[in-house]
Amino acid sequence: MTSVLHRPERGGPSHSVADVLPFIARRLALAVATVLAVVTIAFVLGRATGEPGALLLPDNATQAEVDALNAALGFDRPIIVQYLDTLVGLVTGDFGDSYRLRESALGLVLERVPATLELAFWAFAIGLVLAVAAALAIQLTGSRVLRAVAGWAGAVRQSVPDFFFALLLVLVFSVLLGALPSLGRTSYASLVLPVLTLATGQFVMYLRLLDASLSEQAGQDFVRTAIAQGQRRSTVLFTRMLPNAALPVLGMAGLNLGGLLGGTVVVEVVFAWPGLGQLLTTAVSQRDFPIVQAGLVFVALAFVIVNTAVDVLVRRIDTRTAAA
Amino acid sequence: MTAQLAAVAAPTPRRWRPRPGAVVGAVMLGAVLLLTAVVPLLPAFDPMGQDLRAALLPPFADPAHPLGTDALGRDLLSRIALASAVTLGMTLLIVIMNAVIGSTIGILAGYFGGRLEALITLLSNVTLAMPVVLLLIAICAVLRPSAGLTILVLGCTWWVGYARVTRNVAASLRRQDFVVSPLTQGGDTFWVLTRHIVPNIWPHTLIIAATDIATIVLITSSLEYLGLGVQPPVPSWGSMIFDGQRHLGGDPWLALLPGIVMLLAVGGAQFLSQQFTAETRGGLLRKGGMR
Repeated sequence: MTSVLHRPERGGPSHSVADVLPFIARRLALAVATVLAVVTIAFVLGRATGEPGALLLPDNATQAEVDALNAALGFDRPIIVQYLDTLVGLVTGDFGDSYRLRESALGLVLERVPATLELAFWAFAIGLVLAVAAALAIQLTGSRVLRAVAGWAGAVRQSVPDFFFALLLVLVFSVLLGALPSLGRTSYASLVLPVLTLATGQFVMYLRLLDASLSEQAGQDFVRTAIAQGQRRSTVLFTRMLPNAALPVLGMAGLNLGGLLGGTVVVEVVFAWPGLGQLLTTAVSQRDFPIVQAGLVFVALAFVIVNTAVDVLVRRIDTRTAAA
Repeated sequence: MTAQLAAVAAPTPRRWRPRPGAVVGAVMLGAVLLLTAVVPLLPAFDPMGQDLRAALLPPFADPAHPLGTDALGRDLLSRIALASAVTLGMTLLIVIMNAVIGSTIGILAGYFGGRLEALITLLSNVTLAMPVVLLLIAICAVLRPSAGLTILVLGCTWWVGYARVTRNVAASLRRQDFVVSPLTQGGDTFWVLTRHIVPNIWPHTLIIAATDIATIVLITSSLEYLGLGVQPPVPSWGSMIFDGQRHLGGDPWLALLPGIVMLLAVGGAQFLSQQFTAETRGGLLRKGGMR
């Protein structure tokens, strides 16, 4: 599923008036616009299916009861007031109470965040570390076989969605070998299969990026010169080529966070992992909009903050983009 | 002599030569298309008919059900063929919608520039910075899930890649002599767009579309796995795998078979599209801003 989010990277010329603004101010404005867009989409979704009174009360409730509940939830006010109220809530962190659980929606969302972060973090870390190791091994050995094997295995992994790869893992490790649990979050062992599902996707993506970057550099003058001067191949690889390859990886990591979170949603459903994704899919099917709204905004906010930070960081490190 | 000449000429990038991956990809995708086209013609084709006495037959056990049956005794081969047709048909529609919308927007933005371009740049930057898949899940689930909704939502939202590339190509074409010259001689803008701009842009659109097919299949299948998309009893790869998941212990083929067909289709599409991207690498597409 992570491959799914591989889209063309940002870039190319823009000719807007905003070009004269300092880069960071422009980037912050974009972040605000993105969060506003997500809030608006969530708000429209919440209103698109009608008022919640009829959905929440039993079928035999009278119209007066339905109206009373709608009024209590604030649905009798003009739509623009409701929208402004949502925006105020965004600033104050008040997304209202869950319709079903009568608890703070944001509280319920935050409760689930650690479980999701656990999956996302380990998937990212393991995928990246293995990708660096594999890319270095390919460069150091210069093995065509190794690269071909990695390429074909990666292509196969990217040809199946996360949920199917997860099922294959469950079939082998839980059903056939009985070695690992396939449901829930009870011990460290239950972490293995979901993390493996996501990490393999991450691994393929970063390995491709690193291999492309390292192979491109291998033919360039600064590498040939260093080797001609008698430096060891491994020294050149570690001290000169690897730092250069870190930049595209950093950029990709920021953009890919959204893909990782999207993939986590599906993987959480497969493994009954009690994280944000499971909460959101349940809330969506129960029409519990305060939770949906709080969850979407939380994810968008996290995504935008990381992306902005990565952009600023890349620009500080990479003198080429700073000059542009 | 001619053989020698051919061997010398082979490495030049101009000469078209299928990569081994492309051949494999064509065979994989071709097998799925063949399955989709031929199975509905068979007399035994019946994806909906239930027969509880013949439920959960394993593959190759009964000549009437070559790939076995599901928990309701429905013929698996028929259901896989129908699911392939459904998913591939939806994907094709979604890709075409995105290609048309994105390229039109990109051409207009690149050609006319100015405010329109600024607006589109902002719009595409905002979409790039959004957790799109999560939003798609929310949208498809909140509005009543159906195949049409999935096509509409995905078909109208996944066009940023097309718009970015075509905008850059259109902007560079705008400055070329063969575009400027007819304009200075009083040529009609519409005529220039259709005669000079569009023919130079659609190859780029086609390449993005080829790489996008695999992506769209994976997204729609994930949505369908979550129950958002084609509704039962019509099968799709995602929903068949979801149903089969419950029988993973005793009858794993229920989930494996549709998954393998999906792997063939997506893998085939990816290998094939690599042929296109490899051929244009270093060409205009690079300049167009795609990495």
